[in-house]
Formats: sequence, C-alpha cells, structure tokens
Amino acid sequence: MIPFLLRRVVQSIPTLFLASLLIFFVIQLAPGDFLTPAKLNPNISPEQIAALESNFGLDRHPIEQYLLWMKNMIFNLNFGLSFQYQQPVLDVALPRVLNSLWLVLLNLIFFYAIAIPLGVYGAVRQNSLGDKAVNVVLYFLLGFPSFFLALIVIYFILQIRNATGWDIPINGMTSNGFDAMAPLEKVWDVLKHLLIPALVLAISDAAGLTRVIRGLMLEVMRSDYIRTARAKGVSERTAIWKHTFRNAILPIVAGIGGLLPAAISGAGLTEVVFAYPGITPMILDAINTQDLYLIAGFTVLGTILLVIGNALSDILLAVVDPRIKVG
Amino acid sequence: MKKVLTLALALTVGSAAAQTAFVWPAAWTGEQNTANKRGGELRLSAISDFKTFNPFTSAEADSIPDRMESGSGLFTQDPRSDELIPYMAASAPVVSNNNKRFVVKIRQGMKFSDGQAITADDWITTWKIHTDDKVGSNTRDNFFLVGKPITIKKLDNYTLQFDFPQPSSKALVLMSYTPWPDHVFGKAYREGGAEAIKKMWTLATPPSQIVGPGTWVLESYRAGERAVFKKNNNWGDWNKDSRGQELPYLNNMSVRIVADANASLAAFLAGQIDTVPMRNADDLAQTKKAIDAGSLKAFLKANVSPQATSQWITFNWNKASDPAKQKLFRDVRFRRAMSHIANRQAMVQLALGGLGSETYFSTYPIFKQQIDAGLSAGAPTYKYNLAEATKLLGQLGYTKKNAQGFLVDKAGKVLEFNLSTNAGNTVREQLGRIFADEAKKVGVKVNFTPIDFNTLVSQLTSKGENRPFDAILLGLSGGDNIWSFGQNVVPCGTNLHSYNNPTDGKCATSQEQLMTKLYYQGDAELNDAKRRAIGGQLMKVEGELQPVIYLVGGNYHVAYNERLGGEFAANMMDAYYGHRYYQLTFIK
Repeated sequence: MIPFLLRRVVQSIPTLFLASLLIFFVIQLAPGDFLTPAKLNPNISPEQIAALESNFGLDRHPIEQYLLWMKNMIFNLNFGLSFQYQQPVLDVALPRVLNSLWLVLLNLIFFYAIAIPLGVYGAVRQNSLGDKAVNVVLYFLLGFPSFFLALIVIYFILQIRNATGWDIPINGMTSNGFDAMAPLEKVWDVLKHLLIPALVLAISDAAGLTRVIRGLMLEVMRSDYIRTARAKGVSERTAIWKHTFRNAILPIVAGIGGLLPAAISGAGLTEVVFAYPGITPMILDAINTQDLYLIAGFTVLGTILLVIGNALSDILLAVVDPRIKVG
Repeated sequence: MKKVLTLALALTVGSAAAQTAFVWPAAWTGEQNTANKRGGELRLSAISDFKTFNPFTSAEADSIPDRMESGSGLFTQDPRSDELIPYMAASAPVVSNNNKRFVVKIRQGMKFSDGQAITADDWITTWKIHTDDKVGSNTRDNFFLVGKPITIKKLDNYTLQFDFPQPSSKALVLMSYTPWPDHVFGKAYREGGAEAIKKMWTLATPPSQIVGPGTWVLESYRAGERAVFKKNNNWGDWNKDSRGQELPYLNNMSVRIVADANASLAAFLAGQIDTVPMRNADDLAQTKKAIDAGSLKAFLKANVSPQATSQWITFNWNKASDPAKQKLFRDVRFRRAMSHIANRQAMVQLALGGLGSETYFSTYPIFKQQIDAGLSAGAPTYKYNLAEATKLLGQLGYTKKNAQGFLVDKAGKVLEFNLSTNAGNTVREQLGRIFADEAKKVGVKVNFTPIDFNTLVSQLTSKGENRPFDAILLGLSGGDNIWSFGQNVVPCGTNLHSYNNPTDGKCATSQEQLMTKLYYQGDAELNDAKRRAIGGQLMKVEGELQPVIYLVGGNYHVAYNERLGGEFAANMMDAYYGHRYYQLTFIK
C-alpha cells in the first residue's frame, strides 16, 4: 500500500506542474486584466491605475508572476491574493467550498437513493410496464439541463407560494433572521433551503446513472456464475444484491475518484439559479473580473483533489473487488 | 441685566443645540412620518457578492463600506437646490488664500458606533491612509487636483484646515469624504503601515469589530447570501427629523445577494425585497402586471428622469498607418455628417423601448441646468438629417457611388470604417446596428463588430501616433452635477480623451485647447451661475467640434413596495438623488 501511494505522489508531480502551467497561462491569454474596467472610469487617473498595477504585481512579466505564484504555493501553501477580496485565495474559497459541500453531499445521497433502486428495478423487471415508464421519464430528464429544470421548479414553487402563501424558500441558504435562531432551528432552516436544489440536481443527474446500473446489472445477471448461484439455491435477494449488484457497481466505484473534486467544485449553474452561496457563483464572478489568483488557485486545488480522489478510488476498488491488488 | 444674561444664556444654549444636531428638512420627504412609526427592516438586494468590509481597499461600486458611509461627510447636497450645506461640519467653511484654503469647524458631540467621539484626528488619519499608494485606495485620486496633493491639517480637535493646490468648484465635495476611526485604523497604520491596513476588516472579520460614523453599521454578513446593517445608535444624537425626533426610523437594512438582475426583479415581484432598479420596458411591464393582478402592492413611476450615463461613438485621430482615414476622421465635416446619420429617435424607440432621451453633449441630460446653459450659449446639435449628411460628405469629395451603392473617392476607394462595441451589451449592439443601417442609406460602409470588452478598453485607452481602432461605440457613467465634465475626458492628454491621444498628449486643434482651458477655468470657478456659463461655452466648442458623437441615454424609473414611506415628493425624484433618503424612510 505505502509504495503504491508513494508512486502516486511522485507521478502526480509532473501532472500538477503541467496543470498549473496550463491554468496560469490560459488565463493570461485572455485580453485585459483585473484593472481594465477601472480604465473606463472617468474618476480614476492613469497614475492611480499604474500604482494599482504595481501593487497587484500585474506590471510584471507573466513568467515572473507564475514563478512567484509557484514559489509561494510550494513553500508557504499560499495560493495568492484575490484581487477583488484583497484576501488569501483559500480564505475566500473555503467558506464557499463548505457551502457547496453540503449541497453536493445531500445531492449525492438523493442521487444514489434514486438511481440504485431504479436501476436495479429496471434490470430485474426488464421490459415490464414499470420499467418502461421509468425509462420514458428518465429519457425525458436526460435531455434537460439541470439549471433549466431548476428554473421550471422555481416557477412552480412561485405559483404554489402565491396560491397558498406557504413560505417555500426559492433561493439562498438561510432565511432572514438566521443568526438569531436556535441551533436546531438553524439546521432545519438550512436543510429547507438545501432540499429543493439538491433534489433537482439529483433527479436530473440520476437519469444517466440509472441507465448505467440497469445495463451493468443486466449484463452481470446473464453471466454464468449468477446462473450457478441460482442453481445452488441462493435466495433471489442474495442473488441480486450480493452477487449481481456488487459486481455490477465496480465501474461506478472506479468513478468515485471524480466525486472528490466534484464535491468541492460545487453544483454548477443550479447554484446560480437558486442564488446558493456556493463555489460556482464565486468562480463565475472571478472569471468575469479576471481575478487571476482566485481562478488559478481554486483550479489547482481542484486538480490536487482529483489526483487524491483517483488514488482513493483505486483503493476503494481494491476493497470492493478482491481480484484487484494494490501495491 | 438679568434679562441680558438670560438672553445670552438662551443664545449659547441655542447655538450649542444647533451645533449638536443636524435637522433633516421636512421638505426632503413627500410624506412625513407624523405617526412616528419606528423600527422594521428595509430589504434591498445586490447582484454581486460583497468583497470586503475595508473602506480603504474596497473597489466595488456597491460595497459594504459604501453603505456605511451614508450619513457622513463634512458637507451634503440639498436635493432641492444642489447646494452643498454643512453636515458634519458645524458651519460653512472660512475661505481664504484665493479660494485655496478652507478652515472647517467640525460639529461637536458626534460619535462612532462604538461610542468614541469623532474628531479631527479621524479625518487626518483617513486622508493619510487613502493617499498612501501602497494601500491602493480607489478614492486616492479624490485627494489630488491635477496631480498635486490636497493637504489637510488639524488646527485643534474640532478644526481642520484644507489647502488646495488651486481653486476648485468641487472643493466641498472633495472635503466630504467619510472619516474612519483613528482609534481603529490610525493605530494599525502607525504600527504596521499599509500592509497592516490591507489586512484589516476582511470578510472574515467579526461584524462586532466593525465601527462606523454613518447611519448604518454592519450587524452580520453571510458570504454570498446577505449583509444585514443595524442603525448606529449614536448617529441619532446629531441627526433629527424636522420635529426633533432621532433618525433613522428604521432599525435594520438588509441586502440580499441575488444571482442577477432578473432574480432581484423576481424577489421584488414576490414581495421579498422593497425596491429594485427598473432596467427597461420589460421590467416595467412585469411590475405593472403584478400590481394590476393584485399580487404586489407597489408604487411605480416610469420615465422619472434621464439616467446619468452617456453612449457615444468616438473616431480615432491617431491613425498613422492609414493617413487617408486619419485625415477623414480629423475632418470636422465628416464627424458632423456622422452625427446627422445617427437616428437617435430610432435608437430610443428600438434599442431602449421608447424609454430614453436623445443626447448631443458629454454632459448627461439629467444635469438639466448645465444643458440649458449650453443651449443658451448656442451649442449646436447636429440632428438626424441624411440629406445634410450627404451634402457634407459631398464636400469631402464623396459624390460618386459604386455598384454596391457605397460612396467612393476619386481613386475608387470605398468610404468605410470599422466600428466596434463590447460584445454582450445588447443595447449597444442595437445602437451600432441602427447606426450602420442608416450609414448605408447615404453610402457609408460601416463594418460593425462587437468585440471583447477588455480588448475594446485597451484599444480605447491606448496612447500613441497609431492607435489600433477606427471607431468605438461605448458609454461612460459617474460624475456629479457640480461640474459635470469628465476630468479624464475633456483635457488633452488625459486617459479618456479618446479621439486624440498621441504620445505627447498634445491637443491637435485649437478647439481642443480651448476646451481644456475652459475645463480648468470652470473647475476653478466657485460661483454656480458663472461656472455653468463657462460650461455652456465648453459645450458650444464641443458641439461645433463634434469630437465624439453622442447618441442616446436610458431613462430612470422608480419602483418600490408600498410598505415603505418617507420618499421624496415626485418632482424631487431623479437618477442623481434617487427616490428617497433611507434615513427618512419608515415602514408603514
């Protein structure tokens, strides 16, 4: 195990180096910089712009900027200073990452709770009326971008709100007066806000996974060892969940590595639609204003987590599948 | 003798009381809070998350420090007369040294939200930190006049002396910056310099440590969600309404952060926030629909005034790589023809949905007094007139058209130029298309292309003999109604003197020289009427030269929830002052 992890660490160095290089210089390729909009302000003089440029280090050569950034990252774990916030990147990003994490975790729970039973059901009752009905709905949802689904959901919630006067939250993460609430009330308040976006995300994403699980289950169910197991007289439940399901989900476990960066990269445009204070609105804002170090620092963080996540999924795979040996 | 003593006593008490409180005139609201309604929360929205609590590093348009600055400043503008009246200052300043020295007595008895007295030291420290270029304050330029520093001296705890390098009509505005607490920032600055200031009051700072002089002070902040302000209890000590009651009436002001302007409109329509800017006819229609349907009880008024913005086309006079074009762009007849081509009426109708006004000058149409002064000085307007445009182009030698219907010169070269604007700004894209279509009618080929904003700005602000563009369609906003000409726009060699910006920054024409001279002359003129007359002269020269073709500007509309009271009388509302003072706002 330890040599395996060590090998992984060594392998990840060139990956991270190349990734950071790409991230930094792709951002540099875009015209203009953080201070460009200020140049159109009739009240800011060119001298002031020049002073700010040297303050932010924008007057230096990009290669020099990159080397300085790398040096700070490696030796001080300092991902740079966000121009907009005048704060270290990590301080800005971490609270947002945490917010996104809650949403993504709840979404994952819903996601698997919907996709696994539906997929298994579809395989076990292949071509039954229920299977077909589920298929139709899922195909329909597959074609829907999640933010669009979110917009439709918000429309209906607004209608319900207007009709009934129920206070169903449509955006944000907390209600007015959140700070004055008791701890349990706080938990409930956040949960209330999380529920709908998490469900919307899970439903629109579950379509794909359900299809995958259904296909994999069908394939495994037809294999010889399942027939053997059945012939030996194991119960239907054991045949499906222990023998078939466990073998069918291997490709999914292999993909779990991708979940770690996904968990911190937030829930995408759904966050924007629900005005959820997650990572996506922040990153979009940073890209809009060309907040160099915030974009770059956060992307590097994502890359590191991707590398760790992949290592984790290899380990998980070994746990689930005894045929795979790590090391 | 006793009578005299009583009188003297009464006078001192009277003047002391007058010195401790600023009375907000009754005329500043259309509806008095006679029932003395108090408490409640004003609910607002912002479409971009807040970036910092720090007033010295803040660079956003709508920031937390900005909101805490409301209700501070040595002088404030009376919305009825535009006149600057003493506010944190106890009285009008004593002016000497040819209008360059201002001695200001500070009102006594004012306190920060933490209870510490506000004294001259706070102004001095704030000035020092703003002007330290290592801090990177966005308002640093406000403490300089044509590159020379304004100096501020403390005469005693309640007296300040401002020395300006030259007279300025904006002196009182420049002096009206917000004093931040010396006992918080001064201490840090003396110990750790600029670096210590930059580290202060970030979003991670507990709001309980935030101290302010203004009406509001931060109560809580949740990243990406909302900021809640509470009233500064000490502010009411020196701010009273016309009946002597403490202000503000409200307890809280919350700012919810929403995804975009559509989301804030939705929140307004759902009754979750109290007021929202109406951007266009679409917003107005939706709000009207909600009001008519009875799901929203709100006040709505369209076309209250023009917005304080401009949209224009500028031609590049520094095009050494193409002498023919440079000659063309520098010819006043060509630019007047271009102004005649601009169908401003169609632009208002098509691009602004009928809710806008035509513009002909760099002064925004909302600054009506200045516009009137310009018109009475004889400033010309080159209105939509294709026949006149054809005539002017004919004078330039463009009389023949080719097979495609475009004008050609003697050598057969088509009269054409590239026009760009920033992609994504749908209004500007429409303005550009309308202009290009009209130009085609008289035979001018306009290659209109929306491009990336940052590229556009770097083209516009580039300096040199050969700048990389033909013509640009863009807009500006910002500025005040005291001297409503841009300090970076009018004088030669400044950043946004967009049509002519050679390496040495010299004027190319005598009119530019005159405009530069009039700009500084007007800026230094303290008499309002005289200054406006100079502005009128400036507008006349500008109108004749047509260095920039001004197009149209949108209108300002007002919408707010009916639970709010204390707004301006309808005739006082405009894009410059808004529709109310939040200090005088109350919940019905």
